Amino acid sequence: MSRMWRVGLLSGLALTAAPAHAFIAYVSNEKSNTVSVIDTESWTVTKTIKVGQRPRGIDFTRDGKFVMVAVGDDDTIQMIDAKSQTVVDSLPSGPDPELFAQDAAGKILYVANENDNTVTVIDLEKRARLGDIQVGVEPEGMTISPDGKTLINTSETTNMAHFIDTSSRQIVANVLVDARPRFAEFKHDASELWISSEIGGTVSIIDPGKHEVIGKVNFEIPGLRKEAIQPVGIGMTRDDKTAFIALGPANRIAVVDTATRKVMKYLLVGQRVWHMAFTPDEKYLLTTNGVSNDVSVIDVAAQKVIKTIQVGELPWGITIAP
Amino acid sequence: MTVRILAMAVLALALSGTAARAADPRYPNWPCTQAKVPEISLAAVWAGPALDDVQNKWKDDTKVSALVSKLSARKTPLDEAEKSVKEFLAGSGADKAANAKLLFAGLFDTLNAQRSQVMIGLERVSRKQREAADNIREESVQLQALQGATPRDDAKVDALSNELIWKTRIFEDRHKVVRFVCEVPTTIDQRLFALGRLIQQEME
Repeated sequence: MSRMWRVGLLSGLALTAAPAHAFIAYVSNEKSNTVSVIDTESWTVTKTIKVGQRPRGIDFTRDGKFVMVAVGDDDTIQMIDAKSQTVVDSLPSGPDPELFAQDAAGKILYVANENDNTVTVIDLEKRARLGDIQVGVEPEGMTISPDGKTLINTSETTNMAHFIDTSSRQIVANVLVDARPRFAEFKHDASELWISSEIGGTVSIIDPGKHEVIGKVNFEIPGLRKEAIQPVGIGMTRDDKTAFIALGPANRIAVVDTATRKVMKYLLVGQRVWHMAFTPDEKYLLTTNGVSNDVSVIDVAAQKVIKTIQVGELPWGITIAP
Repeated sequence: MTVRILAMAVLALALSGTAARAADPRYPNWPCTQAKVPEISLAAVWAGPALDDVQNKWKDDTKVSALVSKLSARKTPLDEAEKSVKEFLAGSGADKAANAKLLFAGLFDTLNAQRSQVMIGLERVSRKQREAADNIREESVQLQALQGATPRDDAKVDALSNELIWKTRIFEDRHKVVRFVCEVPTTIDQRLFALGRLIQQEME
């Protein structure tokens, strides 16, 4: 009995004292040409890594061993070893890579090259270029359908989402969305594709089977001009019930109920909020704020900003170790 | 020869300045690559309770207005300013929410005004620079004429050369200063946002 009591007490203690799982976040700082490493237990920057010029798109390899960062002005993608936290290699992208997406297995990388209207296909194991796909003017947003069969690329200038068959590498459909589409995100169940339009100020919701826009999310913040609301990054919870949308110079994240497609709440985060990443346990959502040079930490369940962490200049992208 | 090169450099500078200014036709004298945003809107920095009842009341509160001056000064480091906000609100007791609103209203008015002053100054300098560029352009044409004249008046050539070198140097220095000052409105935005965000967090 007393032993059980003790065990109970101990486990109770363990529960209350157990720190939240510590994760490592990497943030690309576009202006200072660095990547900040954040520890999610202490919420501090533990290291600043010098990288190439104009780092933007950033993502972990699926095995968690490397962080890939597109350094646009150096026309390449650098690989940071997650153990040594140093740049160890680079990948052959096209000119001015901005954002990229990898397939579910983590074998193939698709890179949007802003300057030459192509998407470069890279074999991640061999770190070799497999070919290019011609897309619309100024390719920008990139994502892959959960089944890996369709690559989505948005074109900033033609305002289209291109649907690309990953096996034939051909464009199979184009869907017109609002002005300057920036980011694309599938629901985890693949039923919907969400695309943010920075200038249009909306998020278009597309039926990926029919290639049709079936709904739109609109934003309104009293006292703010419409032009100040520029949707960019999108984060979707694993149950697909809640979407978080970064609104750029509106300095807010919109929390959207995906069933009604209505904004439930606006959270003031930092200036020019751009991209975001969930911790793997989905307890926290971290956003990059380009003008205030910081990262906001949102408690996902409470839908509340709990912390701000100063990083480098013009933080752009963020990825968290799997 | 040096003068001619300098004058050409100045011309190039002045021309590139004109091109940059054409970026936003609403503000022909705006010299910065950063877009001109004439005013910070309240909603961009504040998601807290309405401030309609505050108006200018912050000026009547000596403690708040003194703190506003201190926090708005660029010489006060941001982390020190943040510490002062926390201490002030922690010591406000039951008046915390009211004081928080007063303080933010004061910062908003003061920093927005400070920002406008900087922008007006930038546009004034930009107009002066354009005049200076025109002047340098004219004088370098005059100098070329003097250099080619026969008989050549060496004393005059020297005098005008020296004047041009001097004017060009002033022009270039100002050009550098303008580029530096162009960052100031953003620095003020950042300060207002950081302090506003902190005040809102402390109110929760």
